[in-house]
Amino acid sequence: MHSPMEQFEIKRLLDFHFAGLDVSFTNSSLWMIIAVILATGVFVVGMRQRALVPGRLQSVAELGYEFIAGMVRENVGNQGKKYFPFILTLFIFILFCNVLGMVPYSFTPTSHIVVTFAMALFVFVGVTLIGLAKHGLHFFSLFVPKGVPWVLLLLLVPIEIISYFIRPFSLSIRLFANMLAGHTMLKVFGGFVVMMGILGGWAPLAFIVVFTGLELLIAFLQAYVFAILTCLYLNDAIHLHH
Amino acid sequence: MRTSGYSALAAGLFGSLLVSGTAFAAGGMPQLDFHSFAPQLVWLAIAFVVLYLVMSRLAVPAISDTLDKRQAKIQSDLDAAEKANEDTRALVVAYEKRLADAREESRRLQRTQAEADSGVAAARFTELGEKLNGRIAEAEKRIAGQRDTVMAGLEQMAGEIAQSAYAKLAGQPADTAALGAKVAAAAKETSR
Repeated sequence: MHSPMEQFEIKRLLDFHFAGLDVSFTNSSLWMIIAVILATGVFVVGMRQRALVPGRLQSVAELGYEFIAGMVRENVGNQGKKYFPFILTLFIFILFCNVLGMVPYSFTPTSHIVVTFAMALFVFVGVTLIGLAKHGLHFFSLFVPKGVPWVLLLLLVPIEIISYFIRPFSLSIRLFANMLAGHTMLKVFGGFVVMMGILGGWAPLAFIVVFTGLELLIAFLQAYVFAILTCLYLNDAIHLHH
Repeated sequence: MRTSGYSALAAGLFGSLLVSGTAFAAGGMPQLDFHSFAPQLVWLAIAFVVLYLVMSRLAVPAISDTLDKRQAKIQSDLDAAEKANEDTRALVVAYEKRLADAREESRRLQRTQAEADSGVAAARFTELGEKLNGRIAEAEKRIAGQRDTVMAGLEQMAGEIAQSAYAKLAGQPADTAALGAKVAAAAKETSR
């Protein structure tokens, strides 16, 4: 029997090396590119008509746009408008990677910690830089809760700092672990179906059917969580209040 | 059969835990293979930047443009509907005003017409009355004239009768002037 972890293996489809760096085109790269192409299909080809009464694909594109636009407007406010394309890209990229990962024999790029951590770190560093550029040294007041006696501050400020620096880890591990666990679970129960044969295999098969629905929900939910947490971090950096 | 199913389930669960456990333990978790980090990161950057450019340059302007246009269209349609509604209301008000004016006018006309009609009737009535009075007076005058002639004829006749009666009774012709005066006085007395 195959290991349930085998589905996460990176396979080099085309070997490339550039300036001593391994830039091979892998199965991960392939599915990222497929996600980009499909997202482009929905958002560019779907919007080609720019119809006042939208068709099906255009409705999907507008729905995605308005979903994230509303999220940014509600959580960051007007100053978040500048970062809206980035958050939309982040959401759509993660969503498409997650959902495409549900296709049998596909690969889920977001099930790799290095990918999710890179995105989370980019968000973290970017948000911190935005906060510093906007408020200068005053940005560090983010770590000092208001209206707290100074004795408690001795305790609270380190906690605030630690919780701030934990953000990229929690953000990336949440997405990665959800993808990893879900796909492993499906694989394990798929193994049960084979193992228990035609007589007993129906129970895990029924579980897989239900669990696939749940996984699709999680695929959407984790993209949503990643995007909304990015919005919240951005809001912290821009408005400096908890 | 049931038990064999359950035991197979248990064995499978155990086995898979064992397999994944050994995979973790052996560092066989593909996520921790740092040789695969560089290609993943490079292609993540490529894919993400491409998607970002597509989104920010093509998709977002297209969608926001379309949404703005739709909003403008909806707004203008709503405005037009509102304007049409107001126009209709104004028209209804104007119509009602004209209707009320027309009613008032017709009532006024009716009244003046009725007044004029009654004036003309009165005038005609008086005219007719005058004409009739004139004719009555004329007729009375004529009757009076006729009566006078008749009365004069009667006097003459009475005078002649009295003369011949006197002549027969007295056997001599009467004094014409004195007899005439007496007859006239008698006639005056009887006509009174």
